[in-house]
Amino acid sequence: MTDPTTSAVRTEHVWKTFHQEAEEIHAVRDVTIEIARGEFTALAGPSGSGKTTLLNVIGGLTRPSRGQVWVAGRNLTEMSNPELARLRLGQVGFVFQAYNLLPVLTAMENAEFPMLLQGIDPDERAARVGELFKRIGLDGMEGRRPRKLSGGQQQRVAVVRSVASKPALVLADEPTANLDSAASDALLDVMRELNEDLGITFVFATHDTRVMERCRRLVRMVDGAIESDKVRS
Amino acid sequence: MEHLGVLVTLAFRNLRRQLRRTILTASAMVIGGGTLMFSLSLGDGTHEEWIDSGVRMGSGHVAIEHPRFRSGRKLEDRLPAAARDAVEAVLRSPAVAAQVTTASAKLTVTGMASSAAGARPARIMAVDPVAEAAFGTIDDQTVEGRYLEPDDRLAAYVGVTLAEALGLRLDSRLVLTAQDAQKEIAGQLVRVVGIYRSGVPEIDQSLIHMPLATAGEWLGSGEDVTNIGVLVADSAAVSGLVRTLRAELRDPIAEGEAAVIGWREAMPELAAAVAIDDFGNYLVYGILFVIIGFGIVNTVLMSVMHRHREFGVLQALGLTPGQTGAVVLFEGLSLTAVSAVIGIALGAFLTWYFFGDGLDFSGMMGEEMTFSGVVIDPVIIPLFRPSRFAQSITFILFIGTVASIYPAIRAARIDVTESMKFDR
Repeated sequence: MTDPTTSAVRTEHVWKTFHQEAEEIHAVRDVTIEIARGEFTALAGPSGSGKTTLLNVIGGLTRPSRGQVWVAGRNLTEMSNPELARLRLGQVGFVFQAYNLLPVLTAMENAEFPMLLQGIDPDERAARVGELFKRIGLDGMEGRRPRKLSGGQQQRVAVVRSVASKPALVLADEPTANLDSAASDALLDVMRELNEDLGITFVFATHDTRVMERCRRLVRMVDGAIESDKVRS
Repeated sequence: MEHLGVLVTLAFRNLRRQLRRTILTASAMVIGGGTLMFSLSLGDGTHEEWIDSGVRMGSGHVAIEHPRFRSGRKLEDRLPAAARDAVEAVLRSPAVAAQVTTASAKLTVTGMASSAAGARPARIMAVDPVAEAAFGTIDDQTVEGRYLEPDDRLAAYVGVTLAEALGLRLDSRLVLTAQDAQKEIAGQLVRVVGIYRSGVPEIDQSLIHMPLATAGEWLGSGEDVTNIGVLVADSAAVSGLVRTLRAELRDPIAEGEAAVIGWREAMPELAAAVAIDDFGNYLVYGILFVIIGFGIVNTVLMSVMHRHREFGVLQALGLTPGQTGAVVLFEGLSLTAVSAVIGIALGAFLTWYFFGDGLDFSGMMGEEMTFSGVVIDPVIIPLFRPSRFAQSITFILFIGTVASIYPAIRAARIDVTESMKFDR
């Protein structure tokens, strides 16, 4: 393995254990993985295989029970909650299965929210979001609230939100689960373009074959552990 | 700063999202704030009325007298003419005169009033008729005859109960007997020029007003007085005036010759009544706002519970736990602040509306009530004090902050991954 500070993501012997009454449930078991900058990677596996939990650990949304996690060269296990929040703000973008747009904000405001928190200039924010909206087919929908958008449109807003602040890493949890095949394909096309154009690292947790087919690297998980890790040529 | 702006925007939009709940809670707070402001004004008006009635019947908002006079009420414990002149000079000085409404010098002794029908103990108050007419209210309570006039010499203005007890009518003669300046018993014949009814039994049965110059000759006290009463426009200014007078009189009057005391010290029963009434009012306000506080907790906490997922998303996007709590705190505070301003404006409007004619409580308490020598007017005029604005807003914001802290902590401490599993 390389120096952990040079890769986009690196985990070493990560375990995540939940306690349910007297029982211990190991959602992630001894996972050691390294994802290089600019990779387009899928974590695949059936429900309960631990892919979402691993994604949450990598994103600093939950702490591992054991092991070490580095994101963009920083060791998450040594960071406080506010430090993790700042790391997420600066380095990590999220796309969730349920879109998770803020209902009181417009599409434009949702998309620029992380940049607003970063203190980026309003003109710069508007330019970046405007360009991405055009590119992703959301032109003209800037002023709409999430409930006035279709599922596919909401997910595209979520994708713009995740990439507009130019993070090092985007973690997407089942981003196509609520979309029809056409919308899924369009969304994946855009994500692939952003990966190639901007060099953003994408990691998907998915069991959608369309996502798996488009990823260069496929990591299969079963019962919290990595079963296989294949890179397509 | 923009950071703060987005948190405030989120807070306001979330309040608007749950409009019905927000309006219900805000309405409770508006009514509470209005009630608080109006009640404070009404309480201040009531107390000012009590104090005004008490100090006009008694020794003024501020009394300047010999330090021993209050304990013994003896003629020997009086202010010499030179001290009286010094006090009056200070009261005329521009710095003090601006604070003083009016002042009256008095010579008060305890003695007997006798007529052909018998004798009764009496409190004889010798006054300058013009100054006392401006100072007290007793001159307006004449039921027969008139009040004292500047040219009167052997005149007496007596209470209706004392007049009945001594069989006195207008122009009746009576003899006043008291210890004079040489500690000898001295008598003075006077004629009744007026009979009054103050409504306070202890005053109507004992207090006699007579001219100060006549009393000076009768008692051999010359132009000496036992006390000088001072009135101010607002009782809230008393402590400042007491400090000023103490400082101003330090040089012209010898130490131990005069004391400056405020009405609280001069009339402790009245001060206690005001304090007890204030305590009762504050207790009611406290209970009212605890109930309203629970309303705010309920509104903000319900909002937090319904938005677990959103708070999870906010933290996933990079908001720190502290900033997440701040969003909730802003919601509670903005709801409180807007409601407080509207409520207090409502209270101020009610105060203004009733400022002219006041609120008539005579249906509940009869025409007049008295306690501790104070006549309570059944018509209460609310008193507007700007400081009550600041106090009310501070109090309501404090309640709003306290009530929002728990929901804010709940929002700050959410488990991000669990909250995003939360489905609604």
